[in-house]
Amino acid sequence: MARIAILKFPGTNCDEDVHNVLKNVIGIESEIVWYKDFSLRNWDAVIIPGGFSYGDWLRAGAIAANTQAIEELRNAVDEGVPVLGICNGFQILVEANLLPGALLPNENSRFVCRWVRTCVKNPKGPWLSLVSDGQVLDMPVAHAEGRYYIDEETYKSVASSSPIIRYCPGFNPNGSLYDVAGIATEDGLILGLMPHPERASEDVLAPKGFRAGGRAIFESIAYSLKRGW
Amino acid sequence: MPLTSDEVSEIRKILGREPTAEELAMFEAQWSEHCSYKSSRILLKLLPTEGKHVLVGPGKDAPAVKVFSNWVVVFKIESHNHPSAVDPYNGAATGIGGIVRDILTLGAKPVALLDMLYMGNPRNSHANWLIRGIVKGISDYGNRIGVPTVAGDTFFDEAFNTQPLVNVACVGIAKTGDIVLDSPKPGDVIAIIGNSTGRDGLLGSSFASKPLSDDVDKDIGAVQVGDALTEKLLIDSIQVLVKKKLVKYVKDLGGGGLTTAISETAADHGLGVVIHLEKLHIREKLTPLELLVSESQERMLIVVDPSKINEVEEVLTKFDLAYSFIGYFTDDGVIRVYFNRIKVAEVPAKELAKPRPIRRASTPPQEALKGLKPVFALPPEPDYRKAILSIVSSPNVASKRWIYEQYDYEVGIRTVVKPGYGDAAVLRLLDGSKRGIAVKGDANPRYTALDPFNGAANSVGECFRNLVAVGSKPIAIVDELNAGNPEKPEHFWYFEMMLKGVAWMAEELKLPVVGGKVSFYNEDHMGKQIKPTATIVGVGKIENIDNAMTMGFKESGSAIAIVGVTYPELGGSEYLYRLFGVEEGEIPKPRPVSEIRNARFILKAISLGFVNAVHDVSIGGASIAVAEMAITGKLGFEIDVSKIYARGIQRIDEVLFSETQARYVVEVKRDRIEDFKKLANKLGVRVSIVGNVIDKPSVVIWNGSRVVASFDLNELAYEYENELEKDLESGA
Repeated sequence: MARIAILKFPGTNCDEDVHNVLKNVIGIESEIVWYKDFSLRNWDAVIIPGGFSYGDWLRAGAIAANTQAIEELRNAVDEGVPVLGICNGFQILVEANLLPGALLPNENSRFVCRWVRTCVKNPKGPWLSLVSDGQVLDMPVAHAEGRYYIDEETYKSVASSSPIIRYCPGFNPNGSLYDVAGIATEDGLILGLMPHPERASEDVLAPKGFRAGGRAIFESIAYSLKRGW
Repeated sequence: MPLTSDEVSEIRKILGREPTAEELAMFEAQWSEHCSYKSSRILLKLLPTEGKHVLVGPGKDAPAVKVFSNWVVVFKIESHNHPSAVDPYNGAATGIGGIVRDILTLGAKPVALLDMLYMGNPRNSHANWLIRGIVKGISDYGNRIGVPTVAGDTFFDEAFNTQPLVNVACVGIAKTGDIVLDSPKPGDVIAIIGNSTGRDGLLGSSFASKPLSDDVDKDIGAVQVGDALTEKLLIDSIQVLVKKKLVKYVKDLGGGGLTTAISETAADHGLGVVIHLEKLHIREKLTPLELLVSESQERMLIVVDPSKINEVEEVLTKFDLAYSFIGYFTDDGVIRVYFNRIKVAEVPAKELAKPRPIRRASTPPQEALKGLKPVFALPPEPDYRKAILSIVSSPNVASKRWIYEQYDYEVGIRTVVKPGYGDAAVLRLLDGSKRGIAVKGDANPRYTALDPFNGAANSVGECFRNLVAVGSKPIAIVDELNAGNPEKPEHFWYFEMMLKGVAWMAEELKLPVVGGKVSFYNEDHMGKQIKPTATIVGVGKIENIDNAMTMGFKESGSAIAIVGVTYPELGGSEYLYRLFGVEEGEIPKPRPVSEIRNARFILKAISLGFVNAVHDVSIGGASIAVAEMAITGKLGFEIDVSKIYARGIQRIDEVLFSETQARYVVEVKRDRIEDFKKLANKLGVRVSIVGNVIDKPSVVIWNGSRVVASFDLNELAYEYENELEKDLESGA
């Protein structure tokens, strides 16, 4: 049976939400792992959930990115373990240089909690295996530092080959460049995104006019792990 | 407020000698209005506090109600008005911290925050600075601790330009058996966990118990600074300590700091305490007096059986949480405080914990007459198209999106009805069932300023209606009464009347008031009382969250019904204030019998599946309620106001904008209209079918064959959705 580690830092606050979705909606085993206890061990995938690791002191994700747990994670990645960073988890992955670009304070400098519509381009890898090109995924965002920034040259090379999740026209909540909501490594092994798929995995949580789009990501990993990723 | 000379002689009598400086500071903190309720305690006995659901009533850090067979809801309200007037960001943030810790004391998991904010005119530059600071303080703190801010209430009024009211509530849930209701015993060890103690917030509760200084900068030392990360670690570690049954008792170090936490815990259980102050973990060097009354945030007291100390230390170390074991309980009822082995205080716990209640004089002021007479001469009828646009764009009616989008209302994956969609927030229990709870907070400062008794009763009524509108059965409420200086009989009268209004309406609606808070001294530095305000927060239960109701129109062709009778009640209305600047007259009457009857009908109609949307009629009146449903649902409508069942109405504005209580607007499914009417008949409820939802983005309001007003829905929506944001951005 595949097992997913949900990596928790001081200030992480979406760990139980992800755990609940994996267990009760998707039906896959997972465990919340306190950062001090995290080691490569035998995890089949790792999720870094949202929150405010270390209270977002310095820059969001910067302190967590420099912990021993993230060093362990680098080793895991080398061995082909899929990693998903949601919101603060995305910020940590970017700060750790495991994903390209940077996440800056929102354009209007306010925290924003809102449902948005995103569109997936070039899906591949374990987290998007069941998602088709151009598929629309509705999810809520909730962040103060989610404005994606990347220099033009890097973007061009990334955009041509890597999976990208974009805010649909009219839904960019923070001023992200190229409407980027999430980005992955070329092979799709590491995915980071600002919207919260765990908050959009059940229809009952989607407000009128939106659908629960996050579920596809968790179903993808379950499917990928089952087939022996 | 420093101790009075009477109180000092009382203390001499208690001790039988001259008090030490430390002892005096302890008495000052504990006997402050904020901690002791000395002016309000006699009157608070009037509140109905019992009911079949009540597990823990008032008097503890937080009350608890049994909502479902194996689930308990713990909820509490608190105000942080004084600190927020001086330092809005930290004042509001620490308000959140304090209320969350109250919920933790019973071992419950905090699952929702509500903020009820009564603030100044957003176009006034000082008020604007306060509003932005308050919202950002709540946003930064609430979001960081992972508790969703799901609901609340706002009211903007010049009266709050320099002294806002910042009322925050927290709701927690726990399995029945997990609630911490154990009692400390002699020999049990006292630990202080969390933040280190510093010089911030010295005698903050005493600061909250007097008027603001002329120069507010002088008061800044009494404001605490929040540390949300430590609060989050407290939440996480207490969940673990409770689950592992490692703690016997938990208490917040809130107002009054260490002194209050220790004296109340000891007094409540007939115990004494020995404390060694030098053991407390600190941030800077402090005197024993400062250690006793510091209100540094994010600290809690836990009581541990001596055999469990090691296991407790293990948990706290894992969570990187600082702690110190500072003493233990004794059986002699005396608090003994040592600092480096020198005894600095020796006080009987019971006497310290409760000063004698004071019976305050109460006289209605001349001003109160403004609310006692009906509005005789209404201003000439306005252009109703302009009037409706003006009201939907009033800060008190317009969308609060600018505020609630700064709050993480989604974390916890429980929020089924989200801000902006319904009259109350609906949260699922997430226990594998479909069960859930609804929460909402309400007040109308204009009503309570004009008529404190009926205004406060209407706050209870509105909270009740909001809970019913989403399809929940109201279970219990907590109240927060914000008034002026209790030493002034003309201020105290407002408090007394508000309290009696809450007590009466709660009794009538069979809603126990399980807890609450009183905050006095809400006056400006000239001694003028801000609008006295009664805030009510309620919890309802909902058996199936799939049936939770939202307010947006769902389907063109369905019928629009107004439930309840409309009376010509424009006194204190948003209409008279917004259009004519008139703030007087008899406010709408509380009608508890209609409230109960109409609520029963609404709940039945929802459960039978007759309706698509429900919205309570409140500020702005029925026409504004229908407009809000159209804007939220993005569907237009046509109604004929001559079909609204009304009594004593002379003019159209009385139908459109009357704020008569106990009414709802309902979108009835097209094929269930007859069933809906039959049910209303059977339950003795007056309903008027007034029009239809249409698939065009247009709004037409008829009076018989004449058009009263018509709009492009997008125009109406634009005013509703953008005005508050424009006001807030323009005043910056």
